[in-house]
Amino acid sequence: MNNNNKMGSDPIPQQQQEIEIEGGGGQLSPSSSGYAGGIGSSSNSNPSSEIESSEIQHGENNSTSNGVVYDSASWVPGKRHDDEVSSTLQAIISFVENGGDCVNFVRAGKHQLLVILTKSVNRCFEKNPKFDMTPLLGGTDVVFSSLIHSFSWNPAAFLHAYTCLPLAYPTRQAAGAILQDVADSGVLFAILMCKHKVVSLVGAQKASLHPDDMLLLANFVLSSESFRTSESFSPICLPRYNPMAFLYAYVHFLDVETYLMLLTTSSDAFFHLKDCRIRIEMVLLKSNVLSEVQMSLLEGGLYVEDLPIDPSPRSGYLSPHLGHHRPGTESPSRCRDANPGIGGPAGLWHFIYRSINLDQYVSSEFSSPINSSHQQKRLYRAYQKLYASMHDKGTGPHKTQFRRDENYVLLCWITQDFELYAAFDPLADKALAIKTCNRVCQWVRDVENDIFLLGASPFSW
Amino acid sequence: MGCSASLPDRNSTARLTGFNSESNGATDSKNLKVKLVLLGDSGVGKSCIVLRFVRGQFDPTSKVTVGASFLSQTIALQDSSTVKFEIWDTAGQERYAALAPLYYRGAGVAVVVYDITSPESFNKAQYWVKELQKHGSPDIVMALVGNKADLQDSRQVPIQDAMDYAEKNGMFFIETSAKTADNINQLFEEIAKRLPRTLSS
Repeated sequence: MNNNNKMGSDPIPQQQQEIEIEGGGGQLSPSSSGYAGGIGSSSNSNPSSEIESSEIQHGENNSTSNGVVYDSASWVPGKRHDDEVSSTLQAIISFVENGGDCVNFVRAGKHQLLVILTKSVNRCFEKNPKFDMTPLLGGTDVVFSSLIHSFSWNPAAFLHAYTCLPLAYPTRQAAGAILQDVADSGVLFAILMCKHKVVSLVGAQKASLHPDDMLLLANFVLSSESFRTSESFSPICLPRYNPMAFLYAYVHFLDVETYLMLLTTSSDAFFHLKDCRIRIEMVLLKSNVLSEVQMSLLEGGLYVEDLPIDPSPRSGYLSPHLGHHRPGTESPSRCRDANPGIGGPAGLWHFIYRSINLDQYVSSEFSSPINSSHQQKRLYRAYQKLYASMHDKGTGPHKTQFRRDENYVLLCWITQDFELYAAFDPLADKALAIKTCNRVCQWVRDVENDIFLLGASPFSW
Repeated sequence: MGCSASLPDRNSTARLTGFNSESNGATDSKNLKVKLVLLGDSGVGKSCIVLRFVRGQFDPTSKVTVGASFLSQTIALQDSSTVKFEIWDTAGQERYAALAPLYYRGAGVAVVVYDITSPESFNKAQYWVKELQKHGSPDIVMALVGNKADLQDSRQVPIQDAMDYAEKNGMFFIETSAKTADNINQLFEEIAKRLPRTLSS
């Protein structure tokens, strides 16, 4: 961890900026918008705020103390070993850009090591402090370089949440039903993903899959070419589930982008899992889930240009574009005053909405003017810093933040139910931006059935 | 090409497709099903051998196998019997060595592969042979395969060394090239012929 000083994220320059950080709730919610609290929760009828706040507290505890390794001290007994492990990552870390969340990355890198080796590698260090783990990691350089890359584009890396592929509710339900069937037959986790996005996932009773593990698992599978060649059965460790033990993962790509992962504790389960996969694949084909997944991949997602002008009625509204975004198809709900090329209404360029209860986030698709990868990475870093400043334990949880610099107006709004990160044109009007954020929240809520995995979340058990 | 076994007639076999159902556990003396595991150092070409045999493909870009891949292929022999190979293509990386029993347990056939340009991989092959003699099924059919036989100019493992070692250990030996497809089918046909006909799968 010698690199901390060098790699630590720069403090955000305070000059030439308009920054407001507010601790109370509701500042972003003009009374005229009709918003009170529970925007973005999975259900319209919110549980009492007391229950929610205790849940949030629980989540915070989880991230630091439930036996899960997060800081270097608990990684291995003895700092020396830790240095050994870290040195394996040194070369990798040196590539991470200065603005990146390096501490977070080192943690994720260590967890990625565990995915491959389990924590039992510690025993080797205990026996021999000079133990060289390099041979054990043979062939995994692609896994780590892909993980580094995640830290410059994948919001899951700092949000500690996963994202779903937008799909019509009945389609996701159909996928969930067959996965549930399989989970009932002794599969610990059944996960259907398309690239980095979840189509559906279920876990056996009481088993919960942490979003951080999902990030590492997806990274591992997507970066290892051999998974695409044929079905496979591999030992794998989920550090947030059990850092000491291997699970066994049956992995099969159903098409170029879509893959099924069936995780079990049993090393003899291959043929059972293979049978499960055949059943699942048949159902998915019959119910057209796979073709809808392909459609969504091509055309789905939330576009800031499609942000409805007026808050829609609370129910019955579905974006005509969601999951079927067809460029060039004009829609009555598309924002009329949005000039092409300057984003959405009020200069809205992009947003990320994270549902706290669901551990899921949705991110708007990149469109002009955030269309080059350089701009996307810059925005990503800005979000990372915003996230860090909002969750800095020293200064307490902030409820809202408004920040204007030469690149953006950034707005962050955190409630018990959700976190909203939004980027606007640097010249955007503050009052309008706030109003627009409210509309984004309403929009997300209106389409939550299609953008989130509801009800089947392992976290709800 | 260095092949110590007599080559079967190239035309004696035909590929069968559509035998991919895993549940037909029942085998008789005419239709065998056998679990085959490939072991060997990383980079010797285990996956390439399997993909050449099962799909007739060769991909020169190296793709490191994670855990183990499962593929199956059925071949028909001259006497009209068939053998279905259920193939476990294991990862060669050291970290998977401890997990190898997971894949070779119950295997009727073990194919131990080395690279004829790498003495180190030949040493590793001998390690696997010993491991299988200790922990594998007692009646396991073992083949020693020197792959990358197209790279004769870079050969570092003399063919005689490998033949002697194979003979001493009761193994079938063949040199193959997944790249040129040389001896790939012959390897599996030879194995098929050597299977005990009363195989319990």
